[in-house]
Parts: sequence; structure tokens; C-alpha cells
Amino acid sequence: MEKIYRIIANTNLDFKDKRHLLCLEAENSLPYVEISQQAQTYLKEGTICDLFEGNAPYRPRYILPDFLLFMKQGSEYLNISPPKNLFEAINALLIIYRFVPSITSYPVYLGQIEELLEPFLSTVSPKEAENLLRFFLINIDRTLPDAFVHMNIGPADTKVSRLILSLEKELKHSIPNLSLKYSPETPDDLALQAIDTALVTGKPYFVNHQELVNDLGKDYAIASCYNTLLIGGGSHTLVRLNLKKVAEKSNDYSDFINHKLPEATSLLVEIINARAKFIVEKAKFFETSFLAKEGLINLSKFTSMAGFFGLYEAVKQLTDLNMGKDGEAEKYALDITSHARDLMDSYTGLYCEGYCNKIGFHAQSGIDTDIGVTAGVRIKYGEEPLLYEQVNLEGKLHPYFNAGISDIYTFDPTAKENPAGLLKIIKTAMKKGIRIFALTTTDSEFVRVTGYLVKKTDIEKYHRGELLREDTVKLGADSIRNNETLKRRVFGKS
Amino acid sequence: MQGCNLSCIYCHNPETQKECCLCGICLETCPAKALLITDNKIIYLKDLCQFCDKCLQVCPYFSSPKYFRITAWELSNYILKYNEFLNGITFSGGECTLQTPFIIEVSKQVKNNSPLTIFLDTNGYVHQSGWELICNHVDGLMVDLKAFNSKTHHYITGVDNSLILENIKYASRQGLLYEVRTVILKGINDSQEEINNISNFIKELNNYTLFKLIPFRPYGVKHPLKDTVYPDKNHFEKLFQMAKTVLGEGVKKPLDISL
Ligand code: SF4
Ligand code: SF4
Repeated sequence: MEKIYRIIANTNLDFKDKRHLLCLEAENSLPYVEISQQAQTYLKEGTICDLFEGNAPYRPRYILPDFLLFMKQGSEYLNISPPKNLFEAINALLIIYRFVPSITSYPVYLGQIEELLEPFLSTVSPKEAENLLRFFLINIDRTLPDAFVHMNIGPADTKVSRLILSLEKELKHSIPNLSLKYSPETPDDLALQAIDTALVTGKPYFVNHQELVNDLGKDYAIASCYNTLLIGGGSHTLVRLNLKKVAEKSNDYSDFINHKLPEATSLLVEIINARAKFIVEKAKFFETSFLAKEGLINLSKFTSMAGFFGLYEAVKQLTDLNMGKDGEAEKYALDITSHARDLMDSYTGLYCEGYCNKIGFHAQSGIDTDIGVTAGVRIKYGEEPLLYEQVNLEGKLHPYFNAGISDIYTFDPTAKENPAGLLKIIKTAMKKGIRIFALTTTDSEFVRVTGYLVKKTDIEKYHRGELLREDTVKLGADSIRNNETLKRRVFGKS
Repeated sequence: MQGCNLSCIYCHNPETQKECCLCGICLETCPAKALLITDNKIIYLKDLCQFCDKCLQVCPYFSSPKYFRITAWELSNYILKYNEFLNGITFSGGECTLQTPFIIEVSKQVKNNSPLTIFLDTNGYVHQSGWELICNHVDGLMVDLKAFNSKTHHYITGVDNSLILENIKYASRQGLLYEVRTVILKGINDSQEEINNISNFIKELNNYTLFKLIPFRPYGVKHPLKDTVYPDKNHFEKLFQMAKTVLGEGVKKPLDISL
């Protein structure tokens, strides 16, 4: 009760923050979903972390509705008929976005946007189309103030993608997060426009379309921060394993590989499956959601996600080698990653039909409270080697991760003079197996924290104690302080 | 590349002009004890360096303790490691053409093993036969033209510009003149006539060469010029627009003009 009062009386939170925390408190007044004593210990000591999802989950963490189907059939629940022009299409989307649950209560996926809007483009004049899309983006930024809200474009060249890119450059919003599915069929001048926008706003990310289609089929999308999931599906939960802590428990490398890692992954699976089971069987989400009833999501396309992080520290702890510096470290990094993937694949993921009954393998890119542990399988900030060495190593690691992985490459502002050079680097990175490439410059107004964007000016406001619309600013500001985000190696600087 | 054959009053990298004569002055100034002289060589310990650049500021001989020797073979191997990430490489300096045989060697090795292009950033003050040799081995040139008026040129660089103008024309005929660059100095080469002359000169050469106008900045400059105010934004913009009326889209300026 005391805790609830403290939330209600806290002047650093506004109404929506309080509502969100109060919901979490209500949920957490129930016992944790049923798991073994050992699993509880792992959770308590932080070796496994459920990202504060709550004790009794009642909706999937990430939901990617099939918006294309929504455009075709409308929605009975929302009382919306299939849109006939761009006005109606945008209105329909803005309405349904408010009804897509997630862990943050904001929709983490806004759709493959050109696929949804391009068919209606001819219903208005070009000038009107531009104005409507501007108003669409402004509305999203203001009403869904959460940087995990994610829009997809590409790989094909469309008027809508081009408009989105130029409007994003003009508006300079941190929301929505934006991904460009990039493939050899993406024309260079579209890619260059995307680079031009990214140099100002830190987005879009470049997504290796070919690799992901090979892994997931063509109906995949990027949601939240770098999660690759199926459209019409999503992920029940994301629970992550701190490899650094597992390494600290191990006597030596072979103890880690043969005993501690298998033990940790079995507990990880246990927790994940218990959570998914609760959502489906106890909370009966799929029986109550209009999204499921109207076919916009389907349990058969869902999975759960296991996140891995702290590989850098695990390698260091077990072998005293530094990833990115010592050539031999690569062997261990790959060995640990492939073992972890094999271990995960040896289990059945409950309600993970979308991923052939396996739990999605994800490189978790960190949260605000992480101190002294590196995101996913990245190289520690500030310790990155030269670009080509980093891409070579990470290009070998990325293919293991079917549910999302990325890295952020920070360039000197002089890179702006040479966008063609950046495109060459991105193309090569994709060839080397990099799945998601985020680029930014040191002088950008935005900082890309683990996987989302925060405006530098908003961080200053947060530190001054101002109340802000965007919930991710707080996460970002704390994360930057704790993870030494600003120490990232800058490329193009001697 | 270390070493230059001109000594322009506005030089932005004066520490690249001459070779180190081992006077030892910078050793005293270095707060990190990152510099030492042994066996008649200056040694720079990068791991200790705090990048304060004090050594560059105090060197009275327009040199630096930080440059190092590298063989053509080592350099081309280093470049080739990056091959897939690059479209090409650019030599600059100092004045890179002072080491033409080295450049040619690297250029041959790089071109034999990759599709990379080779560009040079040069002052164009090279004897005709040397210039022709260079032109046979590179894919493009960025040439400084410090002034069109020969007296002004002499004032800025200490030499006459006729050789440079000839070399520019030659490079243009070879299809190699990617860009001509001029740094704008207040009260020295910033007249409308001067910029007009350069623009027209380029226009008559060909239809592909870019003209880049760069406002003077005092960073790194050792000459008393560093204390002068730099050209004001409006005047620079006026010159830029004027060049544009002659050359159209073929005129460029640095992206981050903060005067
Ligand atoms: S920049 Fe020069 S003076 Fe400064 S620490 Fe490095 S070597 Fe020493
Ligand atoms: S770099 Fe300059 S100051 Fe230092 S020893 Fe050489 S000549 Fe002297």
C-alpha cells in the first residue's frame, strides 16, 4: 500500500506514468507465474532478468498485427469499414494503433507503411499526400510517445517511403523508430536518401532483408528495438540471460560450456514457457482480444524470445581475451553463441509455433540499469576495433540471431560529406552478414541508446527534473549514464 | 604525408610542412611524457598521448613528432584490408607529390589487387614531367588554387602560379581534374573579381570539374593571420552565389559553415 501511495504522490511522474506503474503494482500483488525454486534464485540474483515484465502477464510483450488485412476488411470491434482513400486509411491506422497492447501499452509495430498507404496515394493530390503523411507522423509522435513504436519501409522503392524519409528529416522526431528493409533491389538513390535522413535523425536502421527472408520468410517485420518477428504474430515475452553472470559462476571455460550454460538456459526456457503459458491459458489473451478474433493476429505466428547479453564480459572472464582486440577471442565468442543457440533449439518453446516451436534467439541490447555489462554480443563501448574488424566479427555472430540483433556505428560528422562512402560500408556490412545496421554521427541531435532514439535536449530536460511526454527519455538518460553509451568508437576519426 | 614545398601564410596544418630536426623542444612540453628521442629518431608513444596537440603548437620547425615511416608494401596491405569497405583512397599532406615514387608504388599494388580508385589532394606545384607521371597513375586530382592573381598568389604561397595553372589545364585535358579548391582569406583573395576569374577559368577548362570554396578558419594556423577575423558569412555567401552563376551546380562549400 505504501508503495502505491508513493507512486500516486510522486511529483516526478505524470498521470500516464502513474497509471502504468499502478497497473504493474496491481499485477505484482499476485505471485510470480509458477516456476521452480532454482529459477526464482536465478531471477533474484539477476543472472536471468525478465525486464520487469510483471508477475502475471496478461498480454504478449510484442504484437505485430496484420495491418494489411485490417485495411482490407476493416474492423467490427472498432466499427471501421475498409478505407477508400488516404484520409480514411490514415484515420483507420491512427485509431487501431491505440488498441494494440504491448508491454509498454504503446504499439511496438506500426506496419509496413508503404504497403498500407501506397494504394491510396492516388486518391489525393501530391501536396495533400505530403500534408497528410506529415500530420500522420506528428500524430504518432505526440500520441504514442514511446521510442519503441516502430515503423517499417522498403525494400521496394515507393513514393510513400520517400515521403516518410524526407518528412522524418524535416520533423526530426525521435518517434517512430524506423527501419528500412534493404536488399540489392533497393535502388541506390533511395538508400542514399535514407542515409541522408539517418545522418540527421539517426534513423532508419538498415535491415538485411535477404538474410531475414531466408530465416523467417517474407512476412517478417522489425518491432520495438531491433526485434525481428512475424507479421500477424509477435512475442509473448522476452527474458534475458546475463552471460557475464553465468561466466562468473563457472570454474573454467569447459565448466561454463558443459554445465553452467546448459543449466542457465534450461531455467531460462522454464521461465519463458511459464510466462507464455500464463498469457495463453490463464489470462486467455487470445480468446479475448479483438485482434485475434478478427484474424489480425494468430497464435500460430507467435513465439517467445530469449535474450542474450554480456558476451564480451563472459569471454573476458573465461579466457582473459578481449573481443575486438584479441583475434582468438572470436573463436570463443562464436563457440559460446553457437552453444547457446543449440541449447535453446533443443527445447520446445511453448506456443512458439511461429518459430517452429522454438524460442526466438535474440541479442538483447541492454536496459537502463545495466552497469559494467555490454549489450547483446557487441564489443564493449570504447573498445571497438577498426570498422572492418568489427564488421567481420559481428557479421559472423549476427546470423545466429533469428529474433533480432544489431549494432550502432557512430561516425565522425565529416561522414556527411561522403554518403556514397557510407553506402559502400553498409553494403559490405550486409554482405558480411550484419543483420541490422544503425548509423549515427557524434554531432547528431539524437542519441541512439540501446535500440531507440532520444533527443539530447530532452535528456537535459529530464536531468533538470522536467516532466516529459516520452517515457523512453528517462530510460535513455539513465542508460546513457550507466552503459557509457557516449564512449562508443567514432569511425572516420584518426 | 609529411613535407611541403610551399609555405602558405594560412596553412591549416603547418606541422606537416617540414621534417623533424630532433631539436627536442616538444619533449619538454608534452604533459604525458609520450615523446622521446633515441638513436637519432623521435618516438611517439600513442598509448600515452592525451591528444592535446601541444607538441604541434610548440614545434618551431613546422614539423611534428607524430609522423612515421611506412613502406609502400605496408601501406598498400593496410589499404587492401579495407578494400571491401571503400570506393577509393586519397593521398594528401603536406604535399603528397613530393613522394611521387612512393605514391606510384602504392597505386600499382592497390590497383593490381582491387577496384579502388586513387585520388590526390595536391597544391599542383610540381615540375611538368613529374606532373605527367602522376597523371598516368591516378584516377583523379583535387588541386588547390590559392589565388588567380599572380601577385596575390605570390603573397600567399611565396611562388608564382603559372606552373600550377598549366598543371591544372593538363590535368583537365586528361579528364582527371575532379576538383579545384580555394580557401577564402579576408582582404587577400576574397574580391569578387578573383572568384569570378577562377570560376571562369574552370568553366573554360571543361564541364566536369567542381569548384570548392572554403572559408578560412584559424584552427591550427601559426601565421599572424590566425588573429585576423575570418570572412564574414554574408560575404562568403555572396562569393559562393557568384561562382554559382558561372558554374551552376558545380560549386561546393563545406557542409558545416559556422563562421
Ligand atoms: S599531443 Fe603531443 S604534447 Fe600532447 S600528449 Fe600527445 S604527444 Fe604529448
Ligand atoms: S617535432 Fe619539432 S619540436 Fe619536436 S623534436 Fe622535431 S623539430 Fe623539434
